[in-house]
Amino acid sequence: MIFKSKGPVITEESVLEKLRLVKDPDLHRDIVSLGFIKQLKIEEGKVSFQVELTTPACPVKEQLKAQCEEVVKSIPGIKEVSVTMTANVRTGATQANRIALPTVKNVIAVASGKGGVGKSTVTINLSMALAADGARVGLLDADIYGPSIPLMMGTLDEKPESKDKRVIPIEREGVKMMSMGYLIPAGEPVVWRGPMVHGALTQFLNQVEWGELDYLLIDMPPGTGDAQLTISQSAPLSGAIIVTTPQEVSLIDARKGLKMFQNVKVPILGVVENMSGFVCGHCQEITPIFRQGGGQKIAQEAGVKLLGSIPLDPKVAETSDLGRPMVISNPESEVSKRYRQMARDIAAKLSVMSLEGTDQFKPLTMDWQ
Amino acid sequence: MNLAPLELKQLGPGHLGIIWNDGHQSLFNVRNLRLKCRCANCVDEWTREQLLKEDAVPSDIKPRKIESVGRYALKVEWSDGHDTGFYTFEHLRALCECPLCKSSR
Repeated sequence: MIFKSKGPVITEESVLEKLRLVKDPDLHRDIVSLGFIKQLKIEEGKVSFQVELTTPACPVKEQLKAQCEEVVKSIPGIKEVSVTMTANVRTGATQANRIALPTVKNVIAVASGKGGVGKSTVTINLSMALAADGARVGLLDADIYGPSIPLMMGTLDEKPESKDKRVIPIEREGVKMMSMGYLIPAGEPVVWRGPMVHGALTQFLNQVEWGELDYLLIDMPPGTGDAQLTISQSAPLSGAIIVTTPQEVSLIDARKGLKMFQNVKVPILGVVENMSGFVCGHCQEITPIFRQGGGQKIAQEAGVKLLGSIPLDPKVAETSDLGRPMVISNPESEVSKRYRQMARDIAAKLSVMSLEGTDQFKPLTMDWQ
Repeated sequence: MNLAPLELKQLGPGHLGIIWNDGHQSLFNVRNLRLKCRCANCVDEWTREQLLKEDAVPSDIKPRKIESVGRYALKVEWSDGHDTGFYTFEHLRALCECPLCKSSR
């Protein structure tokens, strides 16, 4: 060597070797072999790189960042480490060969069997939580007869514009939304037969300019009928989330909803137990007014995960009626914390399914010669 | 893992091949497939009575287009215009006419 270096030589390999010690806890592999490390630059003791996660809503983002800094700093001669966390959401297996919704990476149905369990509230708050983490999110209100998204998002007076025969969704807090409520005068009932519901939903899926989305959440109407079939047949769903309240009368219908998705082979991402106890406005204690453990019960029966339980906070109803969802208006509340955790768990689960290829489904089409 | 087809293949003028995600390779005579349609026009929804008569199906019937329905079935558009039948993956697999499946029935 002609020139004497001032300190030990830091090579790309030595940095990557250290980074191999950092494992993604959900994917069970090190972040180097997962291909997460991008833009690695080494300049005189200063190392900088990006960690490209599979979702901006990663539950362990901060933890991974700290680990990366720690292992790289342990290399002798390194003075400064700069880690930037980015994300590139993987396209769900069903969306890889997509026919409908070609610019959407993951389509998630939020369903229940029964009405009134808070599906729309759950869908909105999960959407907002995902968007707050930096994901590109869409929210489709598939309840044609009883759309509630416009009110709950404070967008009752909005009318979507159209461009080149495509409808531009309404946007709030980074979430693109479409609902029958935007297309009909407020207070007017939609009196339609099933085939018209099918037509409207097909248009929502195919003629709305959703743009590039990481997650499209579909707020399903209650029941197991036309709307559910149309969505299961026309949108290649990455998975479904079942919402229930803890008492038996809601569980009966939630089981049916679960069974329906299993019949049409849509993976169940998990169960959300809503109205799981009442949050006292004075002492914040949670009282189980509707019995306990119902969500856990059906999740166990079906062999799926209980994603979480959301207590009934009077603020939820208040913020919904005012069009300011909890996750946005009261981000530090217990309810909002649970929503954020659930959103991240769902995002992580979809990443795992897509990367492991556990979900090998691929839509097919063929013309006979 | 859920049973699902990975690949559809036309085998000559009248046969369809399917490669499944469990490795099995199915063979179907397409006219037999048409005759096994379970849609409400072909089989009575309440009584399960067979409404489709065999001689009503042209001997040279063939699919025009085959495509996925959601993630649980295939839909076939037939040359006689019939297009209301869904074949769920389980039903399709049960109809497999490969020598192995035939001999086990």
